[in-house]
Amino acid sequence: MIEVRLFATFREGRQKITFLEAGQFQTAAQVIDYFHIPHEEVAICLINGRHSKLDASVKNEDVLALFPPVGGG
Amino acid sequence: MRYERQILMKEIGEEGQNTLKKSKVTVIGAGGLASPVLTYLACAGVGTITLIDYDTVSDSNLNRQFLYHEKDMGMNRAELAGEVLNSLNSQITINPVSERIDEENIGKIINGADVVIDCVDNVETRLIVNRECIKQDIPLVEGGVYGFYGFVMSIKQDFPCLECIGYGNTKLKRPGPVLGAVVGVIGSLQAVECIKILLGLDEVLYGKLLNYDGLLVSFDLVELQKNDLCEVHGLLKD
Repeated sequence: MIEVRLFATFREGRQKITFLEAGQFQTAAQVIDYFHIPHEEVAICLINGRHSKLDASVKNEDVLALFPPVGGG
Repeated sequence: MRYERQILMKEIGEEGQNTLKKSKVTVIGAGGLASPVLTYLACAGVGTITLIDYDTVSDSNLNRQFLYHEKDMGMNRAELAGEVLNSLNSQITINPVSERIDEENIGKIINGADVVIDCVDNVETRLIVNRECIKQDIPLVEGGVYGFYGFVMSIKQDFPCLECIGYGNTKLKRPGPVLGAVVGVIGSLQAVECIKILLGLDEVLYGKLLNYDGLLVSFDLVELQKNDLCEVHGLLKD
């Protein structure tokens, strides 16, 4: 399974944590598409805590964390 | 006695209070996040606080920037914040600096600080501060908000920085939505982080991104990894 953790506004209308069958997704981008999140709205994409491009591969037991822009003060 | 209640804490005591008195903290920005940050650092007796802000007070500041009041419209924020903090604690030194942070002045502004706290509202300045803190090996406490959401992250040379996690890709909407109370939560957490770093306490948010969700009422911690391709850390190898 791939654990997908969404943050901030990405949680609106979605679950905070979702587990997906690993075989159905090859890249982070495909996971993002599953959640209907426009790619340009992803500010930070982490796979297992490491910065990753959206075309990075995902595999079983990966943890994908997705963040929209947050930085006001 | 002024600091009696915190000296009672085993993590602080007389020795820790003396450490805080000798400490120098630089706060970038004197707006929403900085209002709780500056207030709590001054209250705690941090000996020298330098604050940098180039802006003036406007009415859109007042939903979150409690250092300022309706009578302050149009006045210089750095100078005003300095006056407020001096009246709050006359035993510490406040250095207000009315400048806009850029790549030219950042090195001088943070030089000599024990901790830097980033309280700005834009990505560009955050990246400039991040780069210089890594370069000068000064701990940095980052914090940011969006509506009901916020994050805190502490950074230093041996740990992931904003560039490591790809924060440079962030495109913020300006002006961004901000609830004052959420800024209060995140700014207060930044102040706690700063005090823990000054006291040399464990369990600081180095390599960790703490996320606050005011709607779900949850805190979530994400463990971060350094990026081998990070340009900022890469500069240290040259």
